[in-house]
Amino acid sequence: MTELTSKSDSSDGIDTPTALRAEGLAKAYGSITVLSDVTLDIRAGEVHAVIGENGAGKSTLMKILSGHTAPTGGHLLMEGRRSDFADAIQAEAAGVVLVHQEILLASDLTVAQNLFLGRELTRGLMVDDRAMNRRTAEVLTSVGSIAHPTDRVGDHSLAQQQLFQIARALLDDRKVVILDEPTAMLANDEVAALIDIVRKLRDRGVAVLYISHRLEEVEALADRVTVLRDGKMIGTWPAANLDQRQMAELMVGRELSMLYPAKREVASEPPILEVTNLSVDQGKVEGSFAVRRGEILGIGGMIGAGRTELMEGLMGLRPSHAKSVILNGKQITLFHVDKLMQAGLVYLTEDRKGKGLLLNEPLAPNLTLQALDTVSPGMTLNRDKENEALKQAVQDYDIRVPSLTMAAGKLSGGNQQKLLLAKIMLDDPSVIIIDEPTRGIDIGNKSQIYKFIDTLVRAGKACVVISSELPELVGLSDRVLVMRGGRFVAELSGAQITEQNIVYAAASNGQDIEEKKTA
Amino acid sequence: MIKITTRVRTFMSAATVATVSLVGAAAHAQDAEFTIAVSIPAATHGWTGGVVYHAQRAEKEIEAAFPNIDVIVTTASSATAQVSALEDLSATRDLDALVILPFTSDELTGPVEQVKSNGTFITVVDRGLADPTIHDLYVAGDNIAVGANTAAWLVDKLGGKGEIVVLRGIPTVIDDERIKGFSDVIAESDIKILDVQYANWNQDEAFTLMQDYLARFPNIDAVWANDDDMLLGVLEAIDQAERKDIRFALGGNGMKQVIEMVMAGDERTPISTPYPPSMIASAIYMTASQFAGQAPMRGSFKLAAPLITPENADQFYFADSPF
Amino acid sequence: MSTANITEAPEIRTRRIPWSEMAPFIALAIILVLGATLNSNFLSSNNLLNVITRSSFIAIIAVGATFIIASGGLDLSVGSMMAFVTGIMILSMNALVPVLGNWAILGGAGVALVVGALCGLFNGLIITVGRIEPFIVTLGTMGIFRAFIIFLSDGGSLPIDRSLRAAYRPVYFGDFMGVPYPVLMTLVVIVFGAFLLYRTKFGRRVTASGSNEDVARFSGVHVGRIRTTTYVIQGVCVGIAAICYVPRLGAATPTTGQLWELQVITAVVIGGTLLRGGKARIWGSVAGALILEVIANVMVLSDLVSEYLVAAVQGAIIIIAMLAHRFTNAR
Repeated sequence: MTELTSKSDSSDGIDTPTALRAEGLAKAYGSITVLSDVTLDIRAGEVHAVIGENGAGKSTLMKILSGHTAPTGGHLLMEGRRSDFADAIQAEAAGVVLVHQEILLASDLTVAQNLFLGRELTRGLMVDDRAMNRRTAEVLTSVGSIAHPTDRVGDHSLAQQQLFQIARALLDDRKVVILDEPTAMLANDEVAALIDIVRKLRDRGVAVLYISHRLEEVEALADRVTVLRDGKMIGTWPAANLDQRQMAELMVGRELSMLYPAKREVASEPPILEVTNLSVDQGKVEGSFAVRRGEILGIGGMIGAGRTELMEGLMGLRPSHAKSVILNGKQITLFHVDKLMQAGLVYLTEDRKGKGLLLNEPLAPNLTLQALDTVSPGMTLNRDKENEALKQAVQDYDIRVPSLTMAAGKLSGGNQQKLLLAKIMLDDPSVIIIDEPTRGIDIGNKSQIYKFIDTLVRAGKACVVISSELPELVGLSDRVLVMRGGRFVAELSGAQITEQNIVYAAASNGQDIEEKKTA
Repeated sequence: MIKITTRVRTFMSAATVATVSLVGAAAHAQDAEFTIAVSIPAATHGWTGGVVYHAQRAEKEIEAAFPNIDVIVTTASSATAQVSALEDLSATRDLDALVILPFTSDELTGPVEQVKSNGTFITVVDRGLADPTIHDLYVAGDNIAVGANTAAWLVDKLGGKGEIVVLRGIPTVIDDERIKGFSDVIAESDIKILDVQYANWNQDEAFTLMQDYLARFPNIDAVWANDDDMLLGVLEAIDQAERKDIRFALGGNGMKQVIEMVMAGDERTPISTPYPPSMIASAIYMTASQFAGQAPMRGSFKLAAPLITPENADQFYFADSPF
Repeated sequence: MSTANITEAPEIRTRRIPWSEMAPFIALAIILVLGATLNSNFLSSNNLLNVITRSSFIAIIAVGATFIIASGGLDLSVGSMMAFVTGIMILSMNALVPVLGNWAILGGAGVALVVGALCGLFNGLIITVGRIEPFIVTLGTMGIFRAFIIFLSDGGSLPIDRSLRAAYRPVYFGDFMGVPYPVLMTLVVIVFGAFLLYRTKFGRRVTASGSNEDVARFSGVHVGRIRTTTYVIQGVCVGIAAICYVPRLGAATPTTGQLWELQVITAVVIGGTLLRGGKARIWGSVAGALILEVIANVMVLSDLVSEYLVAAVQGAIIIIAMLAHRFTNAR
């Protein structure tokens, strides 16, 4: 356990006035307490990070501070005055705004229309598009977005859309900006740009509350750090006093064992999956790759490099064709999720909520949806076997659920991910492709998922991991393929697998890559 | 008369299909000297089906009898579609005469006046236009008489007292006129109207409504359904309930099946009232006579609504008409 | 902490009363009580049997519509399809009479089922293979089927052969141990539909497709095939409804089944099925069909409002029912 002690007083070097102060905040749903006795202050011109595992109460705290939820105990002080926000609109009027982790934009409207949605500028009875576009352009520039105000939002990447959300929050002058995992969807270079924006905000005297799983960001950015665990406040420290390991230990309340499992020896037998000249989306994305039993193949690259598209094409979820796909020694001719699963290949999507789980359905139907023919071989559903499978999965994958009949959408992100993993493993596949295995989940669950992957591979399965988190790629992979512009540009193995090499391959120009590839 | 107007509830494409085929059929006689356009509602209900049938029959007969006359029949599924059809007709051809059964008076008055300004002879059928000076010839039925004559017959047969129920059609002028004609006569007797409800000139809805009437009123002496289509539904409901208290169940319009019942001397339905869709044929003939040169006609012709009884029923019966 | 490790506390929480699922039945009960207080004849077995029997058409079609809507589709063509199937059925029965005698009824019934299934398949294939919005496709076929019945009947009525009338009439008006045949038929359809939807893999995939098409696709569900099948099921339901419908009035007319599509969709939605798909309540749909029919019946029996305002009251009751739904759902 760490020997650090909490110092909530102001003797930590920042002496600006408090913008927003929470005193003894608590929140309970019936008999279940999700947050108790949280006291913290956010000062003008500081970045105040809040960290904690999923379920630690971070989201609840954010919602209370931004007026989305009313606390059941305690109160808020805005610049020293008692102010309990009735709703988010009141909070915004007082200068407190929350930027959601999820993208909440109308994808068919333009950027400017989205930014001004519900508060359009008008000239007489007419909507003043010109003024809105001008103002939007200014704000977009200030957050470092390359988008044009009249672009359709849906035509931009998730990263850009996240920037639009931030831009929207910054349209008016704010005293307190709460960012809820703003980098969950972003690739590394975009994260760097975002960190820059947050610093600029801070320098303008805005109080920033920053929630993130990425401890390196917190270390780089925060002035002070508040740690929550199990709904309780552990303490607030000057960021300078904590390194990443200490933060992680405060979050989980115990010493962290090694996050990544030890690397394995990969036998040099012929590959179990060999994909040759796969072409997806009319050739926009193309590639060949192979993976062996007992091997974790990492796929690196910027967001938008075509990694997800390539795998979705392989699964027949996008228009695609290939010269040859050999799985377990057999030539695959029909690309369809169902047929490929029968042949032993499964894919776990990066889009947990949109493409992975039926959020309104209970756990059992979600678990068995893909392997329904295995669980219920006949025409009728075998509910007993489904429940059995669920209990088994809950045990095997340590899915923490208050009730077996709850809706999948009510699970925390980490538990959703574990449920998805259980889902695709239900038919005992031999090759598993996992797209962003730990996106947006806390460090405890992360470490568990790494262990699961390691166990699977040690049991003779092969695993392909697409990840935008460099430490993850480096920590897990036996071999890494790097993609850029829809093509593989580098293959790294052994000691070559470093964050620097991956970034270099993913971002530099073609010639160097060819050299690297042959190296 | 607009019974048609509101009964027409079809989808546009139905009317379009019908219009195209009719226009195509008429295209063969292009080099005729005189052109008579006939604009009627599309066949979406028994009565309008009869109108289309009689119009097409008249077209064939006249073109056969007078080779120099070309008759063009077009159907429309709504007042708007009828206005468009008129515009298309007068734009593409030199019309000598127009026979029109308008969906509604007010909406069609202007467009018909426009056609007349080109010197076209105008015959209006059933439903009058808002400005009676527009038509050269007007042929119509008498909805008030349909209601009044039926009521008078009922008052007589029931001996001036009893309890009856009434089914209305779709809220329109025809329906209002029939109900008014009927209730004005009934009001002068001791007959009590237990209830009046809409059944939208629809067999199914009439069946349902009659079932409900039967459940609600332990004694009903007679039913007036205002239309023979609805009457068929009413009869089915009475038969199912095996109710013997209903002495008379009457409709109107002179539908084929009902006239067959009248001819067979049915005790419960011994009469009907004509509101013959064949009035469109009469109008086309009268119009054609302008150009055949033998019998130029002007003025208004109102068809009487005599009771159809077993004695005269065969005069109102057309074996191959759909209505 | 609100989560508990299941390995230590294996429990399946007892379900609370599912108010949101009960809502349509509660609404039906309230309307029944209302009807009984307004007119004593309302509860007479004759009246109740009449109402239940005539609601069977909408109920049977609503069972099929529940499948389509649950899978994320919509069918506006059912009313016209019903009229078209009825027309074809009558024509083929009349043609078969000289050869088969009364057995022509069975032949006609077979034709109705096949034609219904084909109509549904046609809708389904255009929607899934042609990738066109179900709203537009079925709006189109609604017009096509309606035009066909008008064409077949020359705008008049298309009656069945007189010789079949007596033999066929009991299918609507007859009963088995006091239960009218159409009601029995409806029960069979419901039980079969509920089995298919709640107990089979197909049903699970139907709701999955409607709940989130992408998730279903990514889980290997053949969404197109599933959706097409729901349209075929709808077609067969329309065929069954036609078989019960023809003996009632013995004819098909251009107004047969007019606006039924709206009644069917209303029944399904009142019943608790989500219009955007993913949640299906077969019994609720049937309760919805009954609610619509009972409201109409109560209106006629009660004499509460002017004949001019009956439709307004019906509309208001439907909206109130949906608001009650929302309220119970929010709990």
